[in-house]
Amino acid sequence: MIEQLQQPFQDEQSLSVLNEHVRKWFIENFKELTPPQKYAFKLISERKNILITAPTGSGKTMSGFLSIISRLFDLSIKGKLEERIYCIYISPLRALNNDIYKNLTVPLEQVYSQIVKEMGTDVIKGNMRKVTIAVRTGDTSQKERREQLLKPPNILVTTPESLAILLNSEKFALNFKGLEYAIIDELHELANNKRGVHLALSLERLVEISGSNFTRIGLGATLYPLEEAAMYLAGCESGKPRDCLIVDASWSKKLDVKVMSPVKDLIYAKEGSVEEATYNKINEIIKASKSTLIFTNTRSGTERVVYNLKKRFGYGEDIAAHHGSLSRESRLEVEDLLKKGSLKCAVSSTSLELGIDIGAIENVIQLGSPKSVTRAIQRFGRAGHSFKAVAKGETIILNRDDLVECTVMIDAALKHHLDSFLVPQNALDVLAQHIVGMSLSGRWGVDEAFAVIRRAYPYHELEKSDFVYLLNYLAGTYVGLESRRVYAKIWYDEKENAFGKRGRFTKVIYMLNQGTIPDEVAVNVFAAGNKWIGSIEEEFLTRLKAGDVFTLGGRLYRFEYSRGMKAFVSEAKDSAPTIPPWFSEQLPLSYELAIEIGKFRSRFSEVVGNCIKKTGAGALLRKRAMPDNVKGFLDQLPVDENAKHAMYGYFLEQLLFAKAVPSDKMILVEYTRDTDSDKRYLIFHSLFGRRVNDALSRAFGILLGEMLDIDIGIMVGDNGFVLSTEENIDVDTGTVDDLFSDITTANLQKMLKKNIRKTEMMRRRFRHVAARSFMILKNYKGYKITVGRQQVNSQLILSAAEKIDPNFPIIKEVYREIFNDVMDLPKAEGILRDIKAKNISYMFVETPSASPFAHSLITFGHADVVLMKERYRYLQSLHKLVMERIKKPD
Amino acid sequence: MRLTKDVELLDGMPVIFIRSIDAIVIADPHLGYEGVMAKKGVLIPKANLKHICGMIGKALKLTGAKTVIVDGDIKNEFSKVDEEEFNELHDFVDFVKQKGAELVLIKGNHDNFVERYREPFKLKIYRQEAEIGGYVFFHGEEMPVGAAKKAKMMVMGHEHPAISIFNKAGKKEKLRCFLYGEYKGVKLLVLPAINYFASGTDINMVPQGELLAPVLKKADLEGMRAVAIGYGSTIDFGTIAELRRAVA
Repeated sequence: MIEQLQQPFQDEQSLSVLNEHVRKWFIENFKELTPPQKYAFKLISERKNILITAPTGSGKTMSGFLSIISRLFDLSIKGKLEERIYCIYISPLRALNNDIYKNLTVPLEQVYSQIVKEMGTDVIKGNMRKVTIAVRTGDTSQKERREQLLKPPNILVTTPESLAILLNSEKFALNFKGLEYAIIDELHELANNKRGVHLALSLERLVEISGSNFTRIGLGATLYPLEEAAMYLAGCESGKPRDCLIVDASWSKKLDVKVMSPVKDLIYAKEGSVEEATYNKINEIIKASKSTLIFTNTRSGTERVVYNLKKRFGYGEDIAAHHGSLSRESRLEVEDLLKKGSLKCAVSSTSLELGIDIGAIENVIQLGSPKSVTRAIQRFGRAGHSFKAVAKGETIILNRDDLVECTVMIDAALKHHLDSFLVPQNALDVLAQHIVGMSLSGRWGVDEAFAVIRRAYPYHELEKSDFVYLLNYLAGTYVGLESRRVYAKIWYDEKENAFGKRGRFTKVIYMLNQGTIPDEVAVNVFAAGNKWIGSIEEEFLTRLKAGDVFTLGGRLYRFEYSRGMKAFVSEAKDSAPTIPPWFSEQLPLSYELAIEIGKFRSRFSEVVGNCIKKTGAGALLRKRAMPDNVKGFLDQLPVDENAKHAMYGYFLEQLLFAKAVPSDKMILVEYTRDTDSDKRYLIFHSLFGRRVNDALSRAFGILLGEMLDIDIGIMVGDNGFVLSTEENIDVDTGTVDDLFSDITTANLQKMLKKNIRKTEMMRRRFRHVAARSFMILKNYKGYKITVGRQQVNSQLILSAAEKIDPNFPIIKEVYREIFNDVMDLPKAEGILRDIKAKNISYMFVETPSASPFAHSLITFGHADVVLMKERYRYLQSLHKLVMERIKKPD
Repeated sequence: MRLTKDVELLDGMPVIFIRSIDAIVIADPHLGYEGVMAKKGVLIPKANLKHICGMIGKALKLTGAKTVIVDGDIKNEFSKVDEEEFNELHDFVDFVKQKGAELVLIKGNHDNFVERYREPFKLKIYRQEAEIGGYVFFHGEEMPVGAAKKAKMMVMGHEHPAISIFNKAGKKEKLRCFLYGEYKGVKLLVLPAINYFASGTDINMVPQGELLAPVLKKADLEGMRAVAIGYGSTIDFGTIAELRRAVA
């Protein structure tokens, strides 16, 4: 049973379960028990599976480890501590592993020397051993590995990938016999992706190898629904979730967060002044606090903020960037400086979100929306290190959509409303890997292996037929007998109902190619004369067509052509970029948050609408001050004065211009023209998050294209999507009615399958899945295979696979990944059902120029830390059109 | 599509038919491609041989040709004879024989070891280029020599030509194509690769200096016409110069 606990134990109760020396050490070093500790000590000592969510700095790690350390010292004192692994600790981050190692070595040493002091020579007589701990990651040296094999540590600290390798080294695996505890840290970083799926299977295999149903302890920041996370942690037994207790101490740290707008009027501020005000505001906060952590949403944004702060305010070495593209050394250095308190400010994209120990941070600034409530809480939770401190922070918004989004998000965070996550189910590529891994250890009965796999929550509903299909795939039954020697990784005997390892190289292939994180390529960019300029992401390249202008390293380039993994460009001074540089980096807005934004829009537009009715549009526009009802409404929100004015102006303009504000229950469909080109836009204000919009936009795009027999361009954003064309078309209510009636009767999945079949996304995802399923090997017989080679015509490999069977497991997985992990097809289908049942309505308007709520959608949909000049001017011109129209007396 | 009185581009196929010599011509099959890739760790399902045999079968039936000319790179591996290749080559030769046609091979840069197959398979192999009925066939990794100057037409492969075009929504579409033009007053036809996995070089996007075939670096490339194949048909897309403007 999964059960959430509400009542902590008394401190005496919690402490009484500890070994006396460990208890003494704890009391000497800590003043009191933190909220998670009040539950965990006792429950873990009783060997209960437990999921603990709590903010950083709440003694989470100690809550997981202390009872285990206590038990190990009990054994040690009795002279019964053996040289084997009792506890395995797994975290997704190597950096975190090193922290844990350091943080545990100290208490282990201190407790031990205390015992030695008290017991004297009895220690030797009693054969009392030290409790040992070691780290095993990709960085561990050969020498250490050998030592770990011969003298296994009592506590092994590792990563999911290293664990998978250990499971398959016959000798080392013996050290897991009788394993008692597994701690999974940063569970929220694992449960929602394929790395976590992979780990869930590893844990079940660990149960087999260790021969014991060890206690599972999950640690993480808050996530919702907790039950799903608990099932992920504990797994299933004969089809039912194993018992697991949930301790939710996420809210033990108070949040004090405000949304700020740098200026009152985000549209008509003088050029550069929004930027200036933003940096001034940041500077004020940095100056006023001991240490500040700034989160941007992209790596490039991080770099720009550091650069600007240094340039504008003369900061030097006391400000530093921390993101994934930086070398490990420079990241460690920044972490170290933060801990020492010698950095005034660090700027990060996502890398400092996780539990890496960076000491006490006084203030967190979030630039632009972090796109999910859970992430917002996690980021702000980095402020005020002790669990009793209040986490203080500011969200500085970048534009008006950002303002609405952040306001709703921070409001939800303060009210403890979270967006939900999903554990990917039945991922066939990860499973293929594990089947090969399992086969390495010997012969398996098919049913026996199937039962082990179904114990892992991500596979608890796996179809037997899918499993058997994978066995056939891995056994190479899709190629002729003579080639099987190369293709087959396992043998599979249908009659015997068994499978096992095949081929001399299979183990090497497995060891070198396992893991779920795809190789992403940097595409090198060259200018005339083969001059190297920099690199872009592969996904970004797939968006470029000849003539597109983009920024790289602060300069503008025009894309000419690409060859393999090289892109060729020419300089493009004085032109406007046509593709935003952050395109592939930006995090998508979550569904739940989008719905909340929709609700907010509907509530606030009603307030503003009432004022228009009462006072009249003209009077409201002339009067600068906010009406009282509006003020009253906005005063309840965690926003500053500038933000209130900006928000009011935004809604007022939209209502006066388009007569409607789209919401969670109403999709506004707006037909308009570009003011200075032939482009026509059909804008869908659909507030369901980017992943749902991704699916919906393609479907509407296909239908409109078929209906009018033209090519349709699609732009997807968080707050809607835009269909565009340069053809001279007529769109009216009838067209839109037809679209909606067609789409609500169509088979969405079938339609999208056909549509994405030839896209670059399909190609890229196919490559990833093929690599995870060992169809494309990254490392083979000593060769490292470049992504370029992996990429060779994956479109054609794909069609070759399709010729064999359109349900080839690898293809099936590519579609599953795209529909469920990249897009959110199930929710998109739900929206269409709601439209059909008239729970969600739509409304058509034709506008002379785009309505205010559409502005950021047609200027790329995304915002970044620093506004681009062209985008900014364009926005101003759009806004001018709006104001001209609404000021005209009716 | 009729290219000249004597030469026809078969609809939707990277295959030509030359009436006067009663032969169909293909280029760059790269047999054994999957096997060679598999040895490098890319386990591509096999599709190439079947695809090529299908094309040739169809072309022979359509034209009733008595000869199949392979204009270079019949196999994939540069330096050694691979078992997979040997098997596929065998099946390919066998297939052509079954259809009652004679097989003529022009050696390409990937065919260094193809000589070994001459005896066991009784193949007609030309080393550099072949003059057959006034047509000169050469693979293309080197400049044409000898008879080329007086040829009715030079026919080559090697480059794997393709063109890329963008539809109005900005989506890129790549199509294999024939290139047809002149070199020093002699007609020059470049065949697209028949290999299933080789989608080709974007002739209208890559600078001329970056092309593989020396003769194409020197020819009036801009004036050559691209005749694209795809979706079951063969269509003249105009000159490379025009196509370059279309994507700029």
